[in-house]
Amino acid sequence: MLKMTEIKKVFRTDLVETHALRDFNLHVDEGDFVAVTGPSGSGKTTFLNIAGLLETFEGGSYQLDGEDVSHLNDKQRSQMRNEKIGFIFQSFNLIPDLDLFDNVDVPLRYRGFNAPERRKRIEQSLDLVGLANRMKHLPSQLSGGQQQRVAIARALAGEPRFLLADEPTGNLDSKMANSVMSLLQDINDRGTTIVMVTHDQELARQAKRNIYVRDGKVSELHEVSELPDAVTA
Amino acid sequence: MLEIGPIFRALMRNKVGAILIAIQIAITMTIIVNAVFIIYERSQKMQRESGIDEANSFYLSSAGFAESFNAKVSIKEDLAALRQLPGVANAIQINAIPISGGGWSMGLQTQAGAEYDGVGVAVYMVDEHGVDTLDLEIIAGENFSPSDIGWRETAQRLWPDKIIITKSMAEALFPDDPFETAVGKTVFINDTEPMVITGIIDKLQAPWVGWDRVENAMLSPENLNYESTRYFIRAEPGQRDSVMKNVEEFLAESNTGRIIRSMRSIEETRERSYRGDSAMIKILTTVMIILTVVTALGIVGLASFSVNRRKKQIGTRRALGASQGAILRYFMLENFLISSVGVFLGAALTVGLNVLLVNQFDLDPIDWFYIPIGMVILWIVGQLAVFGPAKKAANIAPAIATRTV
Amino acid sequence: MFSYYLRLAFKSIRRNPILSALMVAAIALGIGSSMTTITVNYLMSANPIPEKSDVLYHVQVDSWDPHNAFNDDDIPNQLTWTEATNLMAANKAMRQTAMAKTGGIIEPSDQDVKPFEASARLAFGDFFSMFNVPFLFGSSWDAEADQNRSQVIVLTKRINEQVFGGVNSVGETLSMFGTNFRVVGVLDDWQPMPKFYDVNNGAFDESEEVFIPFFLKEELELPNWGNTNCWKSPEGEGFKAFLRSECINFQMWVELPTQNDKAEYLDFLNSYVSEQKDLGRFPRPIQNRLSNVMEWMEDQEVVADDAQIMLWLSLMFLLVCLLNTIGLLLAKFTGKAAEIGLRRAVGASKGDLFFQHLVETALIGLLGGVFGLLLALVGLEGIKSLYGEFVRDLAALDFTMVLVGLVLALVSSIAAGLYPTWRACNIAPASQLKSQ
Ligand SMILES: Nc1ncnc2c1ncn2[C@@H]1O[C@H](COP(=O)(O)OP(=O)(O)O)[C@@H](O)[C@H]1O
Ligand SMILES: [Mg+2]
Repeated sequence: MLKMTEIKKVFRTDLVETHALRDFNLHVDEGDFVAVTGPSGSGKTTFLNIAGLLETFEGGSYQLDGEDVSHLNDKQRSQMRNEKIGFIFQSFNLIPDLDLFDNVDVPLRYRGFNAPERRKRIEQSLDLVGLANRMKHLPSQLSGGQQQRVAIARALAGEPRFLLADEPTGNLDSKMANSVMSLLQDINDRGTTIVMVTHDQELARQAKRNIYVRDGKVSELHEVSELPDAVTA
Repeated sequence: MLEIGPIFRALMRNKVGAILIAIQIAITMTIIVNAVFIIYERSQKMQRESGIDEANSFYLSSAGFAESFNAKVSIKEDLAALRQLPGVANAIQINAIPISGGGWSMGLQTQAGAEYDGVGVAVYMVDEHGVDTLDLEIIAGENFSPSDIGWRETAQRLWPDKIIITKSMAEALFPDDPFETAVGKTVFINDTEPMVITGIIDKLQAPWVGWDRVENAMLSPENLNYESTRYFIRAEPGQRDSVMKNVEEFLAESNTGRIIRSMRSIEETRERSYRGDSAMIKILTTVMIILTVVTALGIVGLASFSVNRRKKQIGTRRALGASQGAILRYFMLENFLISSVGVFLGAALTVGLNVLLVNQFDLDPIDWFYIPIGMVILWIVGQLAVFGPAKKAANIAPAIATRTV
Repeated sequence: MFSYYLRLAFKSIRRNPILSALMVAAIALGIGSSMTTITVNYLMSANPIPEKSDVLYHVQVDSWDPHNAFNDDDIPNQLTWTEATNLMAANKAMRQTAMAKTGGIIEPSDQDVKPFEASARLAFGDFFSMFNVPFLFGSSWDAEADQNRSQVIVLTKRINEQVFGGVNSVGETLSMFGTNFRVVGVLDDWQPMPKFYDVNNGAFDESEEVFIPFFLKEELELPNWGNTNCWKSPEGEGFKAFLRSECINFQMWVELPTQNDKAEYLDFLNSYVSEQKDLGRFPRPIQNRLSNVMEWMEDQEVVADDAQIMLWLSLMFLLVCLLNTIGLLLAKFTGKAAEIGLRRAVGASKGDLFFQHLVETALIGLLGGVFGLLLALVGLEGIKSLYGEFVRDLAALDFTMVLVGLVLALVSSIAAGLYPTWRACNIAPASQLKSQ
């Protein structure tokens, strides 16, 4: 599904050069649920951005779904993001001026679905996160957990094969975090591959596989499948 | 792909900025369309031809003051001498100058009697050289002969019995007949005094450029026995300026019992007569340009601000699959929607202002097609103005979506 | 506190130089264009004789054609010689003068000064006291000179300079119209704007260059300058017949100190017209009018249509510039949301913040006003160069206009700033501390 070899990423500003990723290697298989942990500034978000085609990289190669992405132009990358990847952000990133329906609608518009198809998908995915009855509400009228659920619905509406989440529970209290986590697990159970960055060890352990990033490198990999399936539901 | 629905709904939740732009566009359109209309009307007015040879003609005043000054003798001598001067094509004495602002008007009527209305006409008193000097063309009938020319005394009441009129005047007097048939007909001046139309000239404007019947003019076969009089001189092509100098010197020296003054070319006269119109055109043009720039800068300013405010949102859209083109389109479309509200409001305001101008200032009602053209222009201005900020928005890095502020 | 706000305002303006410059430029352009047109309109509609404008009345009677009104539905704007002389002879007002414009050639006795043409006003001696005309030397002629048709003359300062080198010329002889006049007075600078007493040759025309007794018109057979309108041709030939015709070329003004005087004068006019009707004149219904100076200026529409159109367009222009400013201020203050939230959190009241931002807005407005006035100066120069010298006096900023400009800039920018300021101050204290 995702195959990164020797990925390098350097940020250059006037004053400093930051090597955000150095020889980053990672394989993620179809249907996997990978939790990425690591200290702040270690390159987790950078990795996720590259994985999600939000950022380019300087060295190494990256194959997504068997396709080498380094030659893609902006339009192709956008299309790939739209069709294959779903994003969940720490601060939800809902569009404040749009109601829930229109928020979930955003990626579907870029996909070019017709109106009935979009409506069906929006209703389905909002239903999945349990917010179908709030369709006409604005994000500001929801709690943080609810907002993140809408963001998940938005990520899922296009039925991506691959879900990327950057600290999806970072702005939530633990109860809400757990409910979001179990939602992600449900989604993974239906076959969607998930890569989630988190600093919460507890949550990380609930994923199928954990990787630890330090100084822009994957420093250890271990399977967690032998652990009890879930600490709490 | 068109996202009018969500863009519109998002706009409605953030109305103030959009409304401000829409009103600005509406008022800008109102001013611009009305200004363009006024400019067009004024330049049409300025482009009308006076009928005379403007490039080569000039005139001057001669005022006798000395005891010994004899107007009749002086005029005869002056004209004979002027016509002989090198570079002079022809010269006449005349009572008023076309398009100069000051002149003499009378009413002509087709039936005798005070109870009938006359048609206003500008009167030019000239001798048989008038047609040639003014560079007119007789298109029906004939020119005056030397024997037709009489002397008009100051405060004289009676009129000659022959006149030449312009084609427009013939059509105004006899609206149902072809103009040629006016030749030989009798019209009445001072209610009852008959005059026979002996010729029709193609075109000659009245002295008053703002008059709605500026093409109504007549030639009366007279010299004026006035101590203060005007000469109108047509120079050979290209020699006007040198002739003007010679004529002034010649006349001043030929008779010291008079003064020569107010020598002016017709070109300068035209410039003076239409100065208000040309000033209005220039002022309105300046206002239009500045106004368009101000409105465009306003759009640029507010759009840049709104792009800055929505950076995160733009990054998110990019992450969710929007291409750069899609982001560009979003802002262009958003501006198009705002502009649309503006130009439709502007169409109504434009008509409103025009109605006001028509009622208050007797301007003409605007032609309908000005409105759609104005709308399209304002749409284009809006799109051009928003293009920069939209381009900037399209260039926002998608990675901004994952940045935690 | 105010100086603190002022400092904050300066800081804020410097922090956003482009946005601030845009706002100042927008206000300056709006103020500049509207001040240009306001000035022109203000000077055109100025009261030329404020101290007396409501006791001086222009006289009109309807002596026109039985078949057609003079102008649409209006009565004639001038009088015939017959009315001018009859009404003067009746002598029913406190002061009165009939008048007309003429002109002729002045032959200076000094051989070095060439003969030249000058415009002249025919008037009665009351003209000068009625219209508060200032004298440099000498004085007006008296009523006797009026009746005796004395050949006396009052010169303007310019003509006195041209002919007599500027010395006191009272008592000297001047040759004009081929005859000799005795100089009785020399005027100081006098140019009413508009030239209200006779607007026939343009409301902003120059005053005449010399003044002579009215009846010399008949005596010397002086030509008509200015407009002459006739509805009927003269009965008979020659100058006298023309003078006694129904042609109108004369103006008349009367000074009536009270409303009662005015009512009595109107009664007199009505009875005069009735008498004339008995003589077979005045075929139209009786319609006489007394208009005071400003009423007459209104009636004669001395403010040019083009100037008014430009005034309205430029006020709309100002509105666009203000909308622009509102938008930009909104952008600017929203950009300051974090700072405002913080200030609120540390205890600034809404009122404090409101005042702080109003000071900032006013400062921008004042800057815009100053630049706007400079632009207005440029605009007025432009008007002068476009319309030529004769608008010279119509395109000058006076103190009142400078004040009006600054106040207009201040008021309109504060008005523009109210909504954005209000919006900014309503940002909840905590909202900016919470992460988005
Ligand atoms: N746009 C950028 N410009 C410059 N440096 C950046 C940028 N994004 C990230 N970095 C740097 O790259 C390193 C890795 O950042 P990041 O991937 O965000 O870490 P994490 O998400 O693990 O906290 C950090 O040192 C960060 O400062
Ligand atoms: Mg991070």
